[in-house]
Amino acid sequence: MTDASQKVAALQTALAAEHAASYGYGIIGAHLNGAALKVASADWVLHERARDALAKLITALGATPAPAAPAYQLPVAVTSAADAAKLAADLELQVVTAYVNLVAVADPGLRQLAATSMQNASVRAARWGGRSRAFPGLALEG
Amino acid sequence: MLETANRRPVAAAGGHGGRSWRMLVVDRRRQGQLVVEPSRRVLLAVVAAGGAGLAGCKGIAALGPVPGLPADVVTLNRAIAAEELMVASYAAAVAKLGAVTTAGGNSAFLQVVTAIHAQHQAHLGQLRRRLVLPPRSAASKLGHGRQLAAAMPDSQAGVLGVLTAAEHAAAARLTTELLSVPAALAQLMASIAASEAAHVVVLRRAGRA
Repeated sequence: MTDASQKVAALQTALAAEHAASYGYGIIGAHLNGAALKVASADWVLHERARDALAKLITALGATPAPAAPAYQLPVAVTSAADAAKLAADLELQVVTAYVNLVAVADPGLRQLAATSMQNASVRAARWGGRSRAFPGLALEG
Repeated sequence: MLETANRRPVAAAGGHGGRSWRMLVVDRRRQGQLVVEPSRRVLLAVVAAGGAGLAGCKGIAALGPVPGLPADVVTLNRAIAAEELMVASYAAAVAKLGAVTTAGGNSAFLQVVTAIHAQHQAHLGQLRRRLVLPPRSAASKLGHGRQLAAAMPDSQAGVLGVLTAAEHAAAARLTTELLSVPAALAQLMASIAASEAAHVVVLRRAGRA
């Protein structure tokens, strides 16, 4: 795999996760109100911005950003605020994992972006009540 | 404890007194480990030293000092030292909070701190596994400058402040240092940084309870 194709593949993986998170937060927000809804709305915007930024990076590399799917199979059936928080935490951990391959690219700018995105998503997962993990994004025993 | 390499060395480079010098040649990306391997300059020095030995046993010192460790090995060793300090800090916090809890403090906070202490021990174990040192190599250059954990404040709020500051600093440092290391190590450091950033949230939530 060439350097450019490795970058594009890693960016597409991250983009797919941001698409899924953007879709998921649309469901999450519908089951929340008050302060939790405000937090969910802010997180939704962050994922949409990340999605758009990744799409631009992919385009700049001469590739076509993969579009969002029409719908996504959610890992959690959401019928309550507690379910919505659990879905948010799950989605954020999926985002952490999706950026791991981008950390492996040699480009320092992309590596920094990926590492920072992993941290931010890990923090959001914890804020939504996700359990603390020793190695978020990696298949290592903690 | 640093793991030592037990791979068979593969390239011979000269002889001295009937004993072959063998250079460790290992794929640095395999299993995401960093192997402290002799540089080309060392290899050349050893070859030359072998010849010099035949002429009069002047040895490697005749060529000047052995070159320093590769930058990524130094970075990894720094990360290990920082994680050792973090583990020591959490051990001190657990001890302090144990006393505070006995006196009626927040046992839930102690449980969270104990759990995070275990995660830092796991971080340390993974970082150490990435550093492979051949026997009698540059190991003597590593392991210096280890710091002692700061004394913990007497209050739970004080302990919370020390630990969250340490987690913030550790995540920020790793995020900078992972830019210059091999990919697999960068991924591990990014994951640890993400874990540490989340610890701040978990600690504050438990500290408020």
